[in-house]
Amino acid sequence: MTANLADPAVTPEELRRPADGPPEPRAARWRWPLTPKMFIVAGVAAAIGYLALVPLGYLIWGTFFDAQGLDLGSFERAYGDGRMGELWGNSLAFAGGAALLSITVGTTLAYLNVRTAVPFKALFFAASIVPLIVPGILYTVSWIFLASPQIGLLNAFLEPILGTAPFNIFTIWGMIWVEGLHSSPIVFLLMVAAFRSMDPSLEESALMSGATRLQTLRKVTLPLVRPALLSSILVILITSLESFEVPALLGLQNGIYVFTSRIYFVLRSYPQDLGAAGALAVSLLAVAVIGVAVTRLLAGKGSKTYQTVTGKGFRPRPLDLGKWKPVVGVGILFYFFVTVVGPLLVLLYAALLPFYQAPSWEAISSFTLDNFAQVFEMNSAARALKNSLILGIGAATIVMGLMAIAAWISVRSTIPGRGIVEQLSFVPLVIPGIVLGLSISFVYLRFPLPIYGTILILLIAYCTKYMPYGMRYASTSMTQISSELEESAMVSGASWWTTFRRVLLPLLSPGITAGFIYILVVSFRELSSSILLYSPGNEVLSILIWEQFENGSFNVLAAIGVLMVLALMFMVTVAYKLGAKVGLRED
Amino acid sequence: MRMPRTLARTALAAGAVMVLAACGGNPTAAPAGDAGGPEASGPTEAEQLYEEIAGLSGQERRDRLVELAAEEDGLNLYTSMNADMVDAVTEAFEDEFDIEPSVYRAGSETVLQRILQEQEAGFPGNDVVETNATELMALQQEDVMAQCASPERMEEVPEAGKYEDWVATRFNLFAPSWNTNIISDPPEVWEDLADPKYDGQLALELGDYDWYMALTDYWLEQGKSQEEVDQLWADIVDGAKVVKGHTVMGELMSAGQYGLASSNYTYIVEAMKASGAPLETQPYVNPVIARPNGGSCMKTAQNPATAMLFMDWLLTEGQEVLAAAEATPSTAEIETEIVAVDGQKLLDEGSEWSQRYDDLLSGVEQVSD
Repeated sequence: MTANLADPAVTPEELRRPADGPPEPRAARWRWPLTPKMFIVAGVAAAIGYLALVPLGYLIWGTFFDAQGLDLGSFERAYGDGRMGELWGNSLAFAGGAALLSITVGTTLAYLNVRTAVPFKALFFAASIVPLIVPGILYTVSWIFLASPQIGLLNAFLEPILGTAPFNIFTIWGMIWVEGLHSSPIVFLLMVAAFRSMDPSLEESALMSGATRLQTLRKVTLPLVRPALLSSILVILITSLESFEVPALLGLQNGIYVFTSRIYFVLRSYPQDLGAAGALAVSLLAVAVIGVAVTRLLAGKGSKTYQTVTGKGFRPRPLDLGKWKPVVGVGILFYFFVTVVGPLLVLLYAALLPFYQAPSWEAISSFTLDNFAQVFEMNSAARALKNSLILGIGAATIVMGLMAIAAWISVRSTIPGRGIVEQLSFVPLVIPGIVLGLSISFVYLRFPLPIYGTILILLIAYCTKYMPYGMRYASTSMTQISSELEESAMVSGASWWTTFRRVLLPLLSPGITAGFIYILVVSFRELSSSILLYSPGNEVLSILIWEQFENGSFNVLAAIGVLMVLALMFMVTVAYKLGAKVGLRED
Repeated sequence: MRMPRTLARTALAAGAVMVLAACGGNPTAAPAGDAGGPEASGPTEAEQLYEEIAGLSGQERRDRLVELAAEEDGLNLYTSMNADMVDAVTEAFEDEFDIEPSVYRAGSETVLQRILQEQEAGFPGNDVVETNATELMALQQEDVMAQCASPERMEEVPEAGKYEDWVATRFNLFAPSWNTNIISDPPEVWEDLADPKYDGQLALELGDYDWYMALTDYWLEQGKSQEEVDQLWADIVDGAKVVKGHTVMGELMSAGQYGLASSNYTYIVEAMKASGAPLETQPYVNPVIARPNGGSCMKTAQNPATAMLFMDWLLTEGQEVLAAAEATPSTAEIETEIVAVDGQKLLDEGSEWSQRYDDLLSGVEQVSD
């Protein structure tokens, strides 16, 4: 009964709930006692609802209504195109392929990194984040320099062995390759968090009972991380369906069009056809809603299934790779050379040249630091870097803080309507960035407080945009934490808030850290809503990148990319060091 | 028992969305005709000032504007000029008048969106706008700008750069450019782009539908039939590659991915050439397609005198600054035949042309490698 005194929301029924069933919905008994818990929970839910509904309402209104009332013409404009079947076919093949590749690569790397005594660990971890840092346009163009049939360096190097132009990046396979590799860090970060929180004794039992390594992987390891896998698939599928950078730079050269090219055109013309863009986004919304529902269903089926962080003490211990160690080591070196070192070297090479040319003595003798000097000479570079830092760290902190609580509401609580919180938090993922920017400026131009024109409006935009990712990271981790830990804390008299802070938060730290890093890194290249919402004085780094892309020099752009990789690698390392200080420790 | 409750909740959530959306009216409908409503209540203070100064000219006008600007609070400029250009312009303006303009810089579509949103909400964010013709025509239609440039200076601007509410400050020139290591016999007339000898070497840009429109019109005016023009375009696109972005267009060409770019901005090619890239754009293929970029003062300007001073200056001393930043100033003599993109037509038929260009390009045949 101590628990009851400390926290009236915990009823005796809750404490006696059978440990292995899904939590019983007890809406009839639910009451709203005035406790800090209630304020926090209600506050977080309201914040999520607000952040999600502003752009969603704006988009839906623009899609379904015009000045005269209900109007479905936008659907005809969006889908009436005769090529729609082909566009969707290309889009689905591209997104499906990219998802498959990034899931395979990200999961394998995460598994090797967390669960095995793999060689080159330090280099490895840092390097698997690099594709995330490099802006999509730079990553894609460096692949053109590597694997174009006309000018690809890899093609030139390998021609004596493999014949003329073995690689062609301007194909659907090339698009899948680049997008898949570029997205693999999202999966990597999610899966690292999942593997960190996995009790290795389960795998050890399987091995001891005679299962082979492969069987263990298939029957024990992968099923245990299913929520994280599902989250990854969902996020990657939707982001690849929305992606335009890779299809535009690689696909268009050979006439491979995807359906986002329609969004690109309808949003460029005046008056902007937000209705048609919205009608296209509605399809994505449907995919997202179904996807989230399915992950909830699977994760909710006996919530015990994925709870690997339990009251029994466990220390994640890396598996010894045995005789496979050198093989894996070589494989990893090869992988990094191809996907990380290759593109980065090309970028560095381009950044040192006044204009791009094939490598030669003449090219090397024209190496110059002018491009870097130009970056430092830009009027607003220092200010932009500072603003990006403030926004990146601010958005990452706020989102992960909110989402930690939201994940508790969604995964653990018995509050009626908890599923809606998770659905809402996912909504911004399907909203095109420009629409997000427009909806936010629409609201804050009419808001009584002077938020428009300040850096706060960018912070709100970033929080909205990255909420879906934050939720995936937090809720995936939450499904892994056994409810018995919380229950023990409460039985021992801790209040809900103390339990959350002292028990859950530290245990969630792998997921929170991963989410924090993800948001920090990608917020540095957020452009589509920043460009509309920034004001003189609060420029961000991505605006400078856009500027160079739009009207400037690709080589200066490459220099910015190289500097970004250096700066963000440093920050990611710091974040991980801090994240590793709390929560689960490795041996 | 559970199902109805879930349904009810979903309905509630959906209802909340609708209510929330309904509160603001239709936010995405184009604010045709009623942009913020400054015109509803007669001329604004800024308009009155423009009116008053319009009668002045020469040094008298300049002195009066400098005097009035001193009482105002800086200058807010929204522009799609590139960074080098805008830095050069603002620095020179500050050197001259000791007023540091505060600049919002973005793509022309974004500049337009921002102004429309602000005007609709009655938020006077900018004093001056400087951007592309299409977007300026849209702003002219929304009736949010007031012509404020000095009539003397406007006389120097060619007809293609003079509009009711705005005036051209510079031109963006579209011309073919080529990699001199790959192309030894560059095109001399636009029709040459259709020549099969450039198959596999020609690149088109994804968003250049304004160029597409202007060139189509030019050919039709030259007496070609619609069929002939269609055939030319089909031959151009046949064997062509599509790229996105003018910077990337230049970069990939200097790297040798293809040898000929149909419609890059000359200033991008000139800048790359200056840094040693093997690119060339001259002798120009005649006529060069020019898209006016211009500026105007806002009716809701909070610093109208400074706005006027800026526009006057940009059309006089500022023209040299623009030229030094590789731009083509609107008052300078251009030594080649020019065909200007028709701003009004772009506004009226822009989305149609954009769709046609998109359809044309997506018919691009597979380049077999």
